[in-house]
Formats: sequence, C-alpha cells, structure tokens
Amino acid sequence: MSAHDVNALHSVLQSDGDPDPTRRRLLAGLVTAYTASLIPWALAQPAPDARRGAFAAVSAILAGRQSLDTVQATRLYDALVADDPGFADAVVSLLALINEQHIDPLQLQKTLDDAHSPLTALPRTIATAWYLGIVGSGARARCLAFESALNAVAVADVLKPPTYAYGVYGSWSTKPA
Amino acid sequence: MANDTSADFVVVGSGIIGSLTARKLALAGASVIILEAGPRVTRGELVARFRNSPRRSDWMSPYPPKAWAPHPVYQPADNGYLVQAGPYPYPAEYIRQVGGTTWHWAAHAWRNVPNDFRIHSLYGVGVDWPISYDDLEPYYQEAEEIMGVSGAPDTGSPRNKPFPMEPVAEPWAMRRVRERLAGTFPVVTNTTARNSRGYDGRPACCGNNSCQPICPIDAQYHGGLAADAAEAAGAKLVANANVYKLEHDAAGRVVAALYYDPDKTAHRVTGKTFIVAANGIESPRLLLLSASDKFPHGLANSSDMVGRNLMDHPSTSLTFDADEDLWLGRGPQSPSSINTMRDGAFRAEHAPYRLDFTNISRVDGATRALIADGVYGVELERRLRHSAARELNVKNVLEVLPRPEHRITLSDQKDAMGIPKPEAHYSIDDYTRKGHERSKDDFIRIAALMGGSNLRFSKDGDFANNQHICGTLSMGNDPATSVCDGWGRTHDHENLFLASTGILPTSGTCNSTENGVALALRTVQHMLAEQAGAAKPR
Repeated sequence: MSAHDVNALHSVLQSDGDPDPTRRRLLAGLVTAYTASLIPWALAQPAPDARRGAFAAVSAILAGRQSLDTVQATRLYDALVADDPGFADAVVSLLALINEQHIDPLQLQKTLDDAHSPLTALPRTIATAWYLGIVGSGARARCLAFESALNAVAVADVLKPPTYAYGVYGSWSTKPA
Repeated sequence: MANDTSADFVVVGSGIIGSLTARKLALAGASVIILEAGPRVTRGELVARFRNSPRRSDWMSPYPPKAWAPHPVYQPADNGYLVQAGPYPYPAEYIRQVGGTTWHWAAHAWRNVPNDFRIHSLYGVGVDWPISYDDLEPYYQEAEEIMGVSGAPDTGSPRNKPFPMEPVAEPWAMRRVRERLAGTFPVVTNTTARNSRGYDGRPACCGNNSCQPICPIDAQYHGGLAADAAEAAGAKLVANANVYKLEHDAAGRVVAALYYDPDKTAHRVTGKTFIVAANGIESPRLLLLSASDKFPHGLANSSDMVGRNLMDHPSTSLTFDADEDLWLGRGPQSPSSINTMRDGAFRAEHAPYRLDFTNISRVDGATRALIADGVYGVELERRLRHSAARELNVKNVLEVLPRPEHRITLSDQKDAMGIPKPEAHYSIDDYTRKGHERSKDDFIRIAALMGGSNLRFSKDGDFANNQHICGTLSMGNDPATSVCDGWGRTHDHENLFLASTGILPTSGTCNSTENGVALALRTVQHMLAEQAGAAKPR
C-alpha cells in the first residue's frame, strides 16, 4: 500500500460518523490486492463502518478463515473496544501495516515484535477473542463464546465442546471418522 | 446465641465423606445434623458457570469462594487463603459448598493394594496402618455399591464381590494406547465412580468430557448426591454454617459446635457425638481453632500430631505427539492407567506410582499455546487440529511419605470472618523425587511405543498437585504418634470422631476418596455397634 493508499484509508475512516445508512461499504475498499488474496471473500463482505470493516478484515487474516460470523464479530468488537478505547484505531493501523508490508500472517507476530511495534499485543488479543471466545485478561477476562469459539468450530467434525454430550454410551469407542 | 439445635450426631462438613457418614447414621434411625460452611449450588448453575468461564482450564473457576466460607483459589490471582510457609508450595484446592470437593473430580475410586497398609513392616518406610486391607474390604465394597464403581478386574486389590457394574467403555485413544503398549505395559480401564449403565436413578456416561469441573448429567458420583441422600435419609443439613469452634465439658467430651452464619451471627449446636468431616485441611484447622484452657494446643492434639504428616500425590508428566490421530476428548476425562508400579521391593528406595493417561480435550490448551507462539492464519487452524488429534499426556501419581514437618498450622493471618487462615508447610522429599526419576524411564518408553515426537517433560523440579489431601489427622494405635484410632475416634475425646481423608496414615498411590469413604463407613458401623452394645465389627 502506498502512502497515498494509507491516507485514503484513514480518510475513509474519518468519514465514519456519517449517519447515512446507504453508505455501507464493501470491505474491498479497505484492503489491497495482497490482503485480499488472504481473504478473498472479503471483497464482497459488507462493513457497517470502516473501523468494523478493518476489524473484520484483520480478524479474517488472523483466523485464517474464509468466513466469520458477523454477529459474533459485532459482539467481540464491541467488547474489545469497551476494554480499550484505542482498539479501533489500532486495528486500522494493523491492517494498514499488513497491506503496506505484505506481511504473511505466520510472520506477523515476529515482524511486530522485532519492530517493537505498539501493535505487538493486538494479534493475540484478536485471535484469543475469536479462537477462545475470551476478551480481557486477569480479573477482567470474560467469555463471549464457547461452542461458537473458533477452536470449537475448527474440530467440530470430531469433538464436542466439554459439557456437550459426545453421543450415546460408548459411542467414543469407535475410531474418529 | 441466635439458635440452638441438637442431635445425636453432629457432622461438620457435607462432602462425600461427611454426607455418607450422616446418611448411614440417619438410615439407622439416629438424629443427625450436618453443618456445612458453604452454600448450596445446583449442577445446572455449575454447568452454566463453566461454559461462561473465561478460565475453562481453571477447574476452580465455577466454584468461587464465599466470603463467609473461603477456600483457596489461585486464578486469576491467589486469594491468599491457604498461606504458604514453604519451602515447597502446597497449592491445595478444595471446595466449601454443600457436597464438597467431589463436585469436581475424575471419580477415581481405587482401593489401596494390601501392602499399602504395611509399608513400615515390609519396606522400612512410613508407618503401618492400624487396620489391614481385609478389615477395610467390606467397606470398600459398601462404598463402591453406593457410588456405582466399576473397573478392570485385577489391579492388585482383591475383592470378595464383583464391582456393581462393568467397566466404562474405553475411548478409541486409550484402546490405541493399550494396543501399542501391550507386552511392555498393561494399560487398564480405571476404577471409577462413573456409570457404565443406568444406576441408582442416574444415567450412563455420555462422554461430555467435563468430569472436571462438573459432570453435567450426574453420570459420576459426587458429594452433592451424597448430601441429597443424607437429607433424604433424614439428616438435617444446615448450609452456610461455618463451624469455628468445638466446645467441650470438664471431662473433655465435646458438647457443642459453634458456627457463624454469613452475617457472622454465632449459633450453637449441641450433640452427643461429633464427627469432623471437613477435609484434610479444614478439619485440623478446626481442631486447632478449638483450643481452650484445658486443651491449649487444640482438641485431639495432646500428641501435637494434629495437622502433621500432610501428604498428597505430586505428579510430573510427559506430553508428546503420537504418530497417529487419537483425538483426546472423546468420552470421560481419565479412563486408563498403568498400575504395575504401585507396589514392590523398590518401595524401600523410592516412591511407588501409578501412571495415568489423560483423555482431556487438548483443544483449549493447544489454542493457547499456538496463540502464545504467534501462529495465525490458516496455519493456526491446521496446527490446532494436528495438536488436538496427536497430543498425548502421561503423568505419574507418586506416593508421599508421612513427615511430621509437613503440616497444616494456623496462620497469624485471618480470613474475612476473622478466623485464622490455614498455613501449609510442605516439601517434596528424596523418596518422592526418586520415584519421579524412575518414572521418567517409563515416560520415554511409552512415547517411543506411541511413535512420539516433540517430547515435552513437565518443568524439572515442578510437581503438580492432585488435591488428595491426607495424613493431617492420622489414625494409629499409639496416641503419642497419631490423632485417632483405627475407628476414627480421637485418642483424647471419647465422643469426637474424624471422618476424612486426613485420617489416612499413608498416601499410597491411589486417590484418597474411596479410602476416606470406606473408613468412614467402617467408623459408623463401629459407632452403631457400640450404641447397640453389639459386638464390634472387624
């Protein structure tokens, strides 16, 4: 992403308070060809506003999934913003960085760590929210998803989340399909 | 005093041991009051708490302590209730609520092996029990029939009658472990209080894989069911009644239990016979709290043995990736183990142990590890599935010898009710460490037989605790070196009995619950026989 593109992204974001409900934009407007290659579905995904759109794009990149539940996205985003008022802008910055530097998701954490980036904690926060359903830490941690957390979804063809019945008595004795 | 109540028997603690003690007394026609420090909580509430917990791997998270009945918790921060005097930490977990700590257990219901009762005579270590395996055998059976226990036919503990049901169906992962270790290690289905069929109105297991922290369908037995059964038998259970002192008369007989309700209003309950069944930490704490002019070191403590000989089962472990998909998390959490090192001449040199395979889903743990490693994108899901399918863990369950310096004392810190907190003095001795070293050879052979890679031993020097608190109220024939006799009667007070895993004089290699329950049932048999003037049971 060129400097011009970054500025364009921020300018899109600055128009966010627009109350016009017809101004729903597509995520495609927030990502570059590189990012879009990671999350091709995003090109057609509507975003209620640019910051939520950036969150959806970053979430998809980190989760490595081609579709994410939009209701879950809203709940997680609202909780993450409630925890950290700077969260929304940080996500925009992270997306801009991935766009600009064409960062492979597997290299993202190391890239941020090596650069001593202020965004270092952000990927783990977002990945934890999606994969474990947990937002916040320590005494402020709270659970927003359990059976719909992505780590449960990712193995749902073989395992049930704990407390959910696996099946009738003895059904666990057979080889997992 | 706001309230006076009275009964033939007053039981302090409504856990599985206290409640089954009360039940048996009530069924015999006695009047019984159970005083429980903690609240009543339903199974449905606990399931909801677990599902909504931000710390699903912290099995205490569905059991937050109440201010009027605190218990130790360590996450998200140590609440400081169990004060650690060192040199090695003893981060015990237990639950103060109606039904006690077995709300959350793996339901292992092992008997000792016969030689566990004679390790001093046979191996020159520890102490002998004042009773034998044969003395306890009928009460093991009684406990197993109440709890609905099943297990493999021969794990070194002889039986006069069969288990009340067949062993629980073996998960695929454990079958593969058994098959691949065959010829080197015999892997057997664990002895557990878990239903393999409908039993006593409770359903068969359906593999929810949340035995800890809560079985959502009561397919495994627990103290909440025992408390229900005690009440159904006629015992009166008072919840939120935190007993802080036992009173005695001039002759040294206990005459009353004093408790605080949540508003710290004091109440007094009188009785003819008192049974302290408040686990291996709260029971000695209560005896020490009950110090008086006549008994300045606490009740039952003329020998200074109350709280001493604290034991548990420390564990070290190996996690590795097998060379085939096993998918832990299907079926019950703790289904299989190796029991060949529970007894032998080596006990003169090092701790015996069981080897336990976990079947707890690896999904949450693997997720946290991958996120900690900064693995994102499609690799996150791919590696998560790999770990969830391949990870295997085996741990040892090591015997600890009784040592007087390992003990529970009263802290100079006080809890929210103004009562001194318990304080733990603990360490891991060479006997146990040598057992750990020996078991590492087994770990490595097991991993090799499973085609293991990516071997991850638990951190050197770290021993996980298993919450099998025992020894602190040891029974024995010599009043100078024990707290109670083989019937659980305190040497110092004719009408004060102890029913707790605390009375186990040695820890053996099996979970302490069934031993504690069987001893308590034997104690009740003795009390009833004494009352009736009949011959004492064996």
